Amino acid sequence: MLRDITFGQYYDCDSVVHRTDPRAKIVLLILIIVFIFLAKNIFALLFCTACVFAIIFVSRVPIKLYIKNLKAILPILIFTAVINMFYGDGGTVLVQLWRLSITTAGIYKAFYMALRIILLIFVSSALTYTTTPNDLTDAIERLLSPLKFIGLKNAVHTLAMMMTIALRFIPTLVEETEKIMNAQKARGADLENGNLKQRVKALVPILIPLLISSIRRAYELAEAMECRCYCGGEGRQRMKQLKLRPADYAVCGVTVCCCAAVILLNIFL
Amino acid sequence: MPILEVKNLSHSYGGNTPFINDAVSDVSFGIEKGEIIGIIGHTGSGKSTLVQHLNGLLKPTEGEVLLNNENIWDNPKEIRKVRSRVGLVFQYPEYQLFEETVYADIAFGPKNMGLAGDELDKRVREICKMIGVKDEYLEKSPFDLSGGEKRRVAIAGVMAMRPEIIVFDEPTAGLDPAGRESVIEIINNYRAATGATVIVISHSMEDMALIADKIIVMNNGKLFMFDTVENVFSNGDELRKIGLNVPIVTRVFDELRGRGIPLPENVFTVKRAVEEITALKAGERNA
Repeated sequence: MLRDITFGQYYDCDSVVHRTDPRAKIVLLILIIVFIFLAKNIFALLFCTACVFAIIFVSRVPIKLYIKNLKAILPILIFTAVINMFYGDGGTVLVQLWRLSITTAGIYKAFYMALRIILLIFVSSALTYTTTPNDLTDAIERLLSPLKFIGLKNAVHTLAMMMTIALRFIPTLVEETEKIMNAQKARGADLENGNLKQRVKALVPILIPLLISSIRRAYELAEAMECRCYCGGEGRQRMKQLKLRPADYAVCGVTVCCCAAVILLNIFL
Repeated sequence: MPILEVKNLSHSYGGNTPFINDAVSDVSFGIEKGEIIGIIGHTGSGKSTLVQHLNGLLKPTEGEVLLNNENIWDNPKEIRKVRSRVGLVFQYPEYQLFEETVYADIAFGPKNMGLAGDELDKRVREICKMIGVKDEYLEKSPFDLSGGEKRRVAIAGVMAMRPEIIVFDEPTAGLDPAGRESVIEIINNYRAATGATVIVISHSMEDMALIADKIIVMNNGKLFMFDTVENVFSNGDELRKIGLNVPIVTRVFDELRGRGIPLPENVFTVKRAVEEITALKAGERNA
């Protein structure tokens, strides 16, 4: 059913990762991804793997969910690995296909690349599983706030507000779509059968009412916001202030140390 | 033999998730041809879920729905035929209008049944005449109509399929008194012209008293009562226990009786009430 679609995949529980400031989480996520790709040798990469699994473990989100996310990109993963197999420099040649050859170096490279992508997915899932979509948009707004110095004063806030509203209305629109689909089915609309053209045509009785009701909702929402004196980002305060606590500094510190360790492993091993 | 029979119907949302939720559990009843059945119950009592089973929009988790003694799910491929035999008018049906003209929108249902040409045209015009959609409206855009007119057109869209059973989910919600009256009139007209069986969900006890023969009372997904209007509304205390009530005029009469005014019980409509009070006054004057 439609209602099974989840947007944003927040997993509700309490853990260090959940409690960490969302801004810190976004910055650290970028940092970790950069270092996963900087890790040159197997030791550095294995160390990264260990770190990522440590994050997964402390996040208290079932590992099953992380693996579910991995399944979605499996084709890309396999494609990347296969392509990389042919790009190894040196090493013994294992298979020769016309002018392409798979070498041991290629196999290593494919393995590294695959592992990096897996880690990338895991660590970004850790962000989305532990941060509500609203916290994420808040954090993005704050992180982008320097843009106001280059003349984009209201743009950042507007963008963040748009994202928040969009996220808020996804479940509402899903519910609405279901209702309209049922209503048209009750009038004999056939949504399941037919060729591509017929199916696309069958969507019209659903899309038009949905569009109209979205526009109606938009007007209503805008009016309701104006009634409560909403006037954009200027001078607006937040009920939930984002504030870095000592624990957030500690998390940042630990992550930076791990990144330093990756560099050391790169140099000395 | 009942035209529509529901046997031990249960439905739970959220199949294998931990959020399993029995919306309807073990409901059974039978409806005779030509009856008008009201369904009442507080919000979340399973009314809407129940009626969505009657035309096969939802498949029962357990139990069955028999239409003319045939299980509607015997042949899942033919479920769309069931939907034209059991019409369902959703809450706020005007939100499902989508065509460019009123005519095209009313024709959508019959067209899906495979009607075309003159037959289709006849069907649309007949239904418009029956429920008073004026000819000049037919070429208008449905989005240019007023709220009450939109509702009328949307209802016509379902009625144009000529269902033997027609189900309304809160047909009068959000309408002004004149709009409410005209919707009730439409329902009565359709029934008079086709002899259809009618099922109406409503929060308005007054509307129920006005049109229904029998009332189904739902509570927490279970069938709480299924009886004649008289018997259901005589059980005011039972109804109040589950957050419902009897029509206002009945409450007024109960109160007056409590103060020693000799008025009869079982008065559920304003019309009856006026008659009773007039009769009482006439009696006093004569005495």
